[in-house]
Amino acid sequence: MNDFPELENELRALRPARTSPVIFERIEEALAENCRAPVSGAGSMANWLRRFTETPFRFGIGLVAAAAAVVLLLARINTDQTRNEDKEIAQVAPASETRPVLPAFSGGSGVNGSMSSNKFVPAGATQVVYNTRNEGLQFADGSRQPLRRLRYQTQQTWQWRNPSTGASLRVSYPSEEVVLIPVSGQ
Amino acid sequence: MDNIASHENWKSCFSEIGPGLLLFARQWTRSAADAEDIVQEAFVKFWRRNHQINNRALLYATVRSIALDFIRRDKRRARREATVFADADPTVEPQFEWEDEAQSALAAAVSCLPHDQREVLVLKIWNELTFSEIAGALGISQNTAASRYRYALANLKKSLQPQ
Repeated sequence: MNDFPELENELRALRPARTSPVIFERIEEALAENCRAPVSGAGSMANWLRRFTETPFRFGIGLVAAAAAVVLLLARINTDQTRNEDKEIAQVAPASETRPVLPAFSGGSGVNGSMSSNKFVPAGATQVVYNTRNEGLQFADGSRQPLRRLRYQTQQTWQWRNPSTGASLRVSYPSEEVVLIPVSGQ
Repeated sequence: MDNIASHENWKSCFSEIGPGLLLFARQWTRSAADAEDIVQEAFVKFWRRNHQINNRALLYATVRSIALDFIRRDKRRARREATVFADADPTVEPQFEWEDEAQSALAAAVSCLPHDQREVLVLKIWNELTFSEIAGALGISQNTAASRYRYALANLKKSLQPQ
């Protein structure tokens, strides 16, 4: 029946590598953790959840997540395209940039009154100082302290965006600002 | 039901079968640490339900199933490791504690056996399962288990013979 009794004995004499002592602690912890977990309805719910997240449900969840990501990506691309178109329109219509017309924020009146959803929200403001002129010292209103008069010439730009339609409005105009800075003698 | 953690007999059970289980799991892993992870997961899963080792075939089937899951889960890492191991020193952690050269040669011969023969041999020799239990654990017939065992011994004998 058995042709290799000697070989079998030799094999039995060969001892497998011992388990590390850490594994006992790990198993104990895992079993204790299992005990702490509720056994009744909540336990079965946890089991159900665990089974649900295991294969093949995990595959389904992955598919749903991937589909959601694709939909979000497409929506994002669509919005970006709309924004780009708006930018192009703004660039080819310089008259609207120079005319200081405020957008209609929510009342439905003004230049954008025909729009279905006229809710523009501020999207940005810039002020570029392109010239500064020092106009010297002066005494204002009988003050004893001298003031330095500085004149700033700037270009201000305001921008609004309609989140629902993606439309944007930009107003840009030159401005001049005079600033009086007190000068203290030391 | 009593607190499972208070069942100290799991320790005596595991002390007895742990090394064999680990050796069985080592067939699918390169490192002892991975094999211990598999054995831990399988043992905990098994003990939670049974609180005793009354069905050894099921325990080994659990180890095997978790090991195969581990391989699937970790396929990418395994490929990466295989590439690294191919370039580096091919020695892996020993699966046996040998005392002399003869035992070392025997251990090397066991590790060179075809996988299906080796797993039957490991279950039979170091885990002392019957052919019926081996058949249950591996999902094969008893005759297949027995013939794989005989092939394994024959191959070992052949490889250990002086050239």
